[in-house]
Amino acid sequence: MNKLRFYFFHLMPYPYIPPETEYDSTWVTLSNKYYDPQRGRVLYNEYIDQLCAAEKFGFDAAIVNEHHANYYGTMPSPNIITAMLIQRTSRMPVGMIGNAIPLHGNPLRVAEEVAMLDVISGGRIISGFVRGIGPEYFNNGVAPADSVARFDEAHDLIIKAWTEDGPFTWQGEYFYIPNVNPIPRPMQQPHPPIWIPGQGSLETLRFIAEHKYTYMMIYAPQWFTKAVFSGLRDECLRCGYEAPLSMFNAAVPTYVAETDEQAHREAKAHLSWLFNTGLKIPQQLFFPPGYMTVKSFRNFAGAYLKGKVKNPCELTYDDMIKHRYIIVGSPETVKNSMGEYCEDVVAGGILNVGSAFGPMPNWMVMKNMQIFAEEVMPEFREADGKPDYLREEPLAPVTYAEGAARFGEPEESARSKVTGIDDLIEHRTAHVPEVIDASQIDKAVHDSKPSRS
Amino acid sequence: MSYVDVIDKTEIPKPDKYYTEPSFEETLGLRIAYRREGSGEAVVFLHGAGYTRRWLPMYQMMAKGVDFVAPEAPGFGETPLPTSFRDFGDLVILYDQFLQQLGLQEIHLIGYSMGGWAAAEFASYYPNRVKSLTLITPIGLRLEENPGVDLFQLSPPELMDRLFNDKAVMEEYMPDPDNFDEGIHLYAEFSAAARLIWAPRYNLALERRLQRLTCPSLVVRAEDDRLVPNEMAEKFADVLPASRLEMIPETGHEICLERPEQLTNVLLRFIKEAS
Repeated sequence: MNKLRFYFFHLMPYPYIPPETEYDSTWVTLSNKYYDPQRGRVLYNEYIDQLCAAEKFGFDAAIVNEHHANYYGTMPSPNIITAMLIQRTSRMPVGMIGNAIPLHGNPLRVAEEVAMLDVISGGRIISGFVRGIGPEYFNNGVAPADSVARFDEAHDLIIKAWTEDGPFTWQGEYFYIPNVNPIPRPMQQPHPPIWIPGQGSLETLRFIAEHKYTYMMIYAPQWFTKAVFSGLRDECLRCGYEAPLSMFNAAVPTYVAETDEQAHREAKAHLSWLFNTGLKIPQQLFFPPGYMTVKSFRNFAGAYLKGKVKNPCELTYDDMIKHRYIIVGSPETVKNSMGEYCEDVVAGGILNVGSAFGPMPNWMVMKNMQIFAEEVMPEFREADGKPDYLREEPLAPVTYAEGAARFGEPEESARSKVTGIDDLIEHRTAHVPEVIDASQIDKAVHDSKPSRS
Repeated sequence: MSYVDVIDKTEIPKPDKYYTEPSFEETLGLRIAYRREGSGEAVVFLHGAGYTRRWLPMYQMMAKGVDFVAPEAPGFGETPLPTSFRDFGDLVILYDQFLQQLGLQEIHLIGYSMGGWAAAEFASYYPNRVKSLTLITPIGLRLEENPGVDLFQLSPPELMDRLFNDKAVMEEYMPDPDNFDEGIHLYAEFSAAARLIWAPRYNLALERRLQRLTCPSLVVRAEDDRLVPNEMAEKFADVLPASRLEMIPETGHEICLERPEQLTNVLLRFIKEAS
């Protein structure tokens, strides 16, 4: 197994907006009139190309997410993007981290779409679930005070829909479904791997530990990520098991170039945009009342007042570098920083490596990806340089012949009753004369014609 | 199963000014905090989304004329918030039981702001128990043309500015920014308010249900309410049968704090007429 996994995490930002000095928020209230579909088309297609390129460069997965009514991430439906990615890649896993399940009217829709993607992709889907961030509750009719309870119920419903034979009745507080019976079912058993991103709240860590899910720490200073990972490890021990390294992933935007100086010169403006413009969100939108429990809010507000945590839009570029919100430099620097980082926080994977940060041009993204793949990645890989998934047998056969060899005949062959024939017809051979007597059909056709007078 | 399942226990901070120890009434498994003073006609006051835990000047003035009862809703002041608490239906049933336990069958009901919505809901459920209904800068109906600002999107300074037109009064009631516990408590109270009013910001059924009221009703509006459009009070006055609309000059949304004396005069006069 490789020392570290690298996930190419894309947000799909839209940068053609007025400067952030002219408004309070790039979320909720900054008008959608600034979105130009002509420019959007170009960006979407570049971003999709970048995500697909991640397979050739050797990333461990391409990852997309869901955000609403903002310019930081213009991907209200990660499932749509994933549908395109699985058609243009063959072996690389694709993750949606994740679907904002409390915000949707019917969580079964998510269960169905993810199952479709998992089947079509041959079991390559990572299914993340999120609550949606605070501002998103201003664009939906769901009360932030219901967020946690709706998340829990939607999660339980989706997992049950994937793992138990339907139909069954769901009688929840928020959702009532007389017959839960989603078709298709997912290919991965018992269900696709589940990732949960978080900001380190104890409630989230407990949830992950109890379910043995994979954690993804969102942007945070290194010391905080370390504390949170250690908290998660403790929670897992409390649940009676030692957490595997693959459970711990951190989102650390990474930019690599020929030299340290060159890397900073190229990345500074765009990484600053990511935090200072893309995440310009006033506190009252970030934390709508009820979104956090009073206890979590007390912890967070306490840390904020002591200056321990900052609103992302208040961070300077030097803060970001110093506290390792981001890693920027020459291949040598990035290798060392990343090695130190992962050893210190004890992480198994890094996300947002080489991705498109803010208004970063396409060529710069591709340059970052290539240098990273060729000059940093091998350091953390086995001698063969492969991502772990390439050393495993794919869940779905690559060819029809393999499929026939591995799975043979289906358990239920397609049989049905055909008019005028007593036996059930086996559809695979339904057209051969031994099964259907053509003369009888001719007679039936003849009989049905109106007689000429 | 108890009505109350889990209660997040935290020490409730006590404001310096106007704080008084509440009484408690165990109601459906929940300890409802309330304050009560005065004699005469029983008048129940339902608070808005703030300024709890206090025996405010307006309450003091009212208690000189009537038996003034001010309960605190779940999640406000010293009444805890049960996790099962969801909507105005829960609130109205809780208040009904609470008032019965206090021996208050027929009451004059007053609601301010969010409490105005609660009072209108109560009256629509129990019209026979309400001798008169007074709504002060209430919310709860749909204003199709101009829904007004979203109070949850306002920063604390913007919210304070929009609540008060009299800035001297605003300064007097400004929460101390260095009081950490009070800040957390206000987040908790806002969370309880969001549970009741986040979406939708109105109850369309109220317009129909209020039609069955036979008691006299009064709607008090501000001269220039910059939080909730003045049309809201006007619409309530239109919808309520046997209602009248009064305006308190030189006020914003927080009439109770800005002009307690004028407001009390209007309220006591109306209650006297309706008794």
